[in-house]
Amino acid sequence: MTGTATLERIESGLPSSRVKIDDLAGRLGLRATEIGVFRKIYGLDELRYEPGGGLLDLVLPPARRALEALPEGRRVDYVVFAHTMQMLTPPGLDAAPLIRDALGLHGAEAFAVNQQACVSSMGAIDITAELMRADRGRRAPGGYGLMVTGERAYSPRIQLIPHSAIMAEAAAACLFTLDGPGDPVLSYVDRVHGEFADGLLMTDDRIKRFGAVYAPELADVIREAVAEAGLEPAEVDLVIPHNVNTISWRHVIKELEIPPEQVFLDNVPRLSHCYSSDVFVNYTTLRDAGRLKAGRPYVLASVGLGATFGAMVIRRSGTEAA
Amino acid sequence: MTREEITAAITDALGTVLEREVPEATEETRLFDELHLDSTSVLELLMALEDATGIEVDPEDIDMDDFATVGTLASYLESRGPARSAAEHA
Repeated sequence: MTGTATLERIESGLPSSRVKIDDLAGRLGLRATEIGVFRKIYGLDELRYEPGGGLLDLVLPPARRALEALPEGRRVDYVVFAHTMQMLTPPGLDAAPLIRDALGLHGAEAFAVNQQACVSSMGAIDITAELMRADRGRRAPGGYGLMVTGERAYSPRIQLIPHSAIMAEAAAACLFTLDGPGDPVLSYVDRVHGEFADGLLMTDDRIKRFGAVYAPELADVIREAVAEAGLEPAEVDLVIPHNVNTISWRHVIKELEIPPEQVFLDNVPRLSHCYSSDVFVNYTTLRDAGRLKAGRPYVLASVGLGATFGAMVIRRSGTEAA
Repeated sequence: MTREEITAAITDALGTVLEREVPEATEETRLFDELHLDSTSVLELLMALEDATGIEVDPEDIDMDDFATVGTLASYLESRGPARSAAEHA
């Protein structure tokens, strides 16, 4: 038993209401020309946004579907709610145990991870897998973790990242364990740059500096994760990215010297950037379209304001088709 | 579109992006140093100019040297032409 984290089932969910970014101009205080930049230069078009929608209504459906993969008689030891914005519930309400209880997983420990912002979902799996390895000898073996994401764009202040992204709503869930039959996590690398800790409150100069390091740093984190997995970038079947915008990814593609089609950007104009959910939502889009090949490696990659750069290399489970 | 029409369209677009009139703009006016545009507001300027002139710009093909002054930008837009006149675009 190597203690390798394995992703057993990933599911996602989207609010049904589709909105064109042009229709958000008033709410976000953007001029028509600024929307034009988001559309033409940054590659955004449509996103999911349901004003007034509840948090649990978004989070629970994919979590329930992921739990269907829990084998009979096995238990979930951890429920981890990974999110980007710190405050998603009124004071006094802790979302993680509410989610655990709504899922009927009363025996599990529940906590949240959000300090890595939009990298928190991958970070949560890394952290929880480490807890599960540390549990060996203290708990009965064979426990599972459930990582869930999903948050609402409840205020224009958290829906617009100036010069970068228009945030949207989605949810995802990942059921994982150690040494299971699912997709093994071959490596995980994250780097935190505290100089950008002001996040949405960064000054223009700081935003400019963040913009300058963004692509080279993300490319470097991806390269490091790929190398740690014992692979070369060319061997990766696809990079499964966050949906921040297309221009940032074009810079990363240039840095990595890989073909543009090696990064899956189809969901950028369809869904935009959904906080911590993107990489798992994009995984389900690719899987459902039959584009994840058994035995092949994939890189999940994201950046969180604050700033965290993260990349996780996984190998799609199953044996390669002849 | 004549050179003068393009320059006038640039002045108009600058007004939109800067949210103030820029009657002082000439061909020699420097966009970054004098009007304090940055790499983001320059993109917004381009979007406004696309709307005003009908000239299509390829985002992959943008060279910041073309944005040095109102005059260099006008030359760049001329090279992307032929632009529709205001009447054709209406």
